[in-house]
Amino acid sequence: MVDFALLHRSALAGAKTGSFGAVSTGSRIALTALPEGHVLHVLAAHGSGALQSLVAQIGDGGPYAVRAYGPGQWFVVGDAALSAADLSGKAALLASRASIADQSHGRVRIAISGASVEAVLAKGTAVDLDQASFTIGHSAMTLIGHISALITRTGTDSFEVMVLRGFAESLWDDLIQMSLEFGVDASTAD
Amino acid sequence: MASLIACPHCGPRPKEEFTVKGDAAIARPAADAGEDAWYAYVYLRDNPRGRHKEYWHHTSGCRRWLVVERDTLTHVVYSVSDASTQGGTA
Repeated sequence: MVDFALLHRSALAGAKTGSFGAVSTGSRIALTALPEGHVLHVLAAHGSGALQSLVAQIGDGGPYAVRAYGPGQWFVVGDAALSAADLSGKAALLASRASIADQSHGRVRIAISGASVEAVLAKGTAVDLDQASFTIGHSAMTLIGHISALITRTGTDSFEVMVLRGFAESLWDDLIQMSLEFGVDASTAD
Repeated sequence: MASLIACPHCGPRPKEEFTVKGDAAIARPAADAGEDAWYAYVYLRDNPRGRHKEYWHHTSGCRRWLVVERDTLTHVVYSVSDASTQGGTA
């Protein structure tokens, strides 16, 4: 008998939404909370060799589903929630050459886009975000202010930021603050 | 302190992303080396002026342990390498 029914609540459900900052129209920033589908942390086994193509097989086919994190580590993300059966099917594909740690409950993705998006993110991180060195599809784990986050470029003027769930709302507020000079429209879609 | 560390996996990153563990040059004594050797290994550290090797953890990046060789006087970073001898995936 359960005393309390467990209720799934998205991490950014209570985050502030709306339009903030400058009233400009040309280079506004759009901030969007992405669906909390799945986030799988894939870790290579010792001496398992190059796994890039194997890890790509457990992605959902989306263009930026697989994100390099560190040597022998990837995040595989997608908008659809996975069942336990889906997960064990994916683990079987890796054939013991890598393990999966399900982080779907633990990490949240935020999309940020706009003509000035590089200038906004550069306020928080020292990573060179210029498209010549940070190409579309490239990922980097770094600090945004004091919050650790994985930044992925999804287009010329769009990025995704993945952050630990407990830090999501704090980072959300920071990103709004960093975008004020350009004007920002924030929506959580829930 | 050196402000940019060229992580072999992530490229140049600010020192704020790292945690410094300390001297990378000390060797672990044998299990039966005696109390003095173990006391020195656990507690005693030099405070070098000049070239120095340290363990750095890329806490807010790739989360790998690195060996950073730097100069405590001039802040020059001589080399940064992955702490695993294989240097590839652990």
